[in-house]
Amino acid sequence: MKRILPFIIILLVLGVALGSAWYLKRSTTDVHRVSSNSLPGPSPNSQNSNPATAGVGGAEPAHTQGPANAPVHLEEFGDFECPPCGLLHPILVQMKQEFGDRLQITFREFPLVPTHQHAVAAASSAEAAGLQGKFWEMHDMLYENQKEWHEAFDVRPIFEGYAKKIGLDVERFKTDVNSEPVAQRIFLDGKRGHSLGVKGTPTVFLNGREVPFESLPADKLRVLIKELTGTK
Amino acid sequence: MKSAGATAASDRSGKRANLLFVLIAILSLCGLADALYLTIEHITGESVKCTIIHGCSEVLSSPYAVIGGFPLASIGALAYFAVFSLAILKLFDYRIAGQLLLPLVGLMCLVSLWLIYLQAFVIHAFCQFCLLSAGITFTLMALVFVAHWRGGVKK
Repeated sequence: MKRILPFIIILLVLGVALGSAWYLKRSTTDVHRVSSNSLPGPSPNSQNSNPATAGVGGAEPAHTQGPANAPVHLEEFGDFECPPCGLLHPILVQMKQEFGDRLQITFREFPLVPTHQHAVAAASSAEAAGLQGKFWEMHDMLYENQKEWHEAFDVRPIFEGYAKKIGLDVERFKTDVNSEPVAQRIFLDGKRGHSLGVKGTPTVFLNGREVPFESLPADKLRVLIKELTGTK
Repeated sequence: MKSAGATAASDRSGKRANLLFVLIAILSLCGLADALYLTIEHITGESVKCTIIHGCSEVLSSPYAVIGGFPLASIGALAYFAVFSLAILKLFDYRIAGQLLLPLVGLMCLVSLWLIYLQAFVIHAFCQFCLLSAGITFTLMALVFVAHWRGGVKK
């Protein structure tokens, strides 16, 4: 018995390790799992399909694209300086083009401090542009030119340049960037993110359920949205 | 015939050596847990996200986090499991197991040093979980070295 006991212990530990790994993997993907069975979809019985039903409310009015009665609500918590968020941006643009009025996209600020030194400045610029009704224009400008400003020492002149390019009142923009309403919006979006358990960016929710990062490539995200819209 | 004193001293020495291998087994389990967590993070893609904890995503999404298509963390998990198995076998008097521990943990130390170099000078970011793993490996090295020095592996 003494000769085989160590092998029993080793096999036991191997079993526990594999079991824990399987459980961890399953719980990571299950918490976020998105399928037509688990998500509130477009069926008449699912009246609470809006993602805002979970967690504390973020900044109001939220920055959205698409109609409020769309069957699919996609809520992104993003950081303009985060490279994976920059990679997600064209995918979401593509989804918006493909699904049109069947998809509503909401953007929430989640600047990661101190990971990204210009994240708050970028979020403030987008929110300041929002005060002049051009949030999405600045949002696109920041993501599309992320590499340009990411490593800059002083981003203010760059962002002011973007403001000019998208037709903002630059003097007002300069004042708004440091204003209380802008800071308040970023704070409220962050608070909502924390209440939903957001720990990193990009974090995407489809009809209130978190989408695992591995499902964010265009082909996988398209399948998930199609399931929710009920199209094949 | 051994005297009673010599037998008692030999018993004490054997117990100390056994305690060392118990510590090695426990530490390797901590390393295994750390490496398994990193492996799952890698597989699910969570490590690629940007997070408030600076460094982990930069390190784990770098090309150095994968070797031959396998997450480096999964190779680390295998190595820690091997250390655990050898320590347990040594506790049950499989002498060869004790002798294999030194080259294995030595190799793990060298890999850890290389990874710290990569984090400091190439990636320019540190991942706490990787540093924890390196700390565990260095402690394992110290324990295995003490066991060798005391002759525990030859008994």
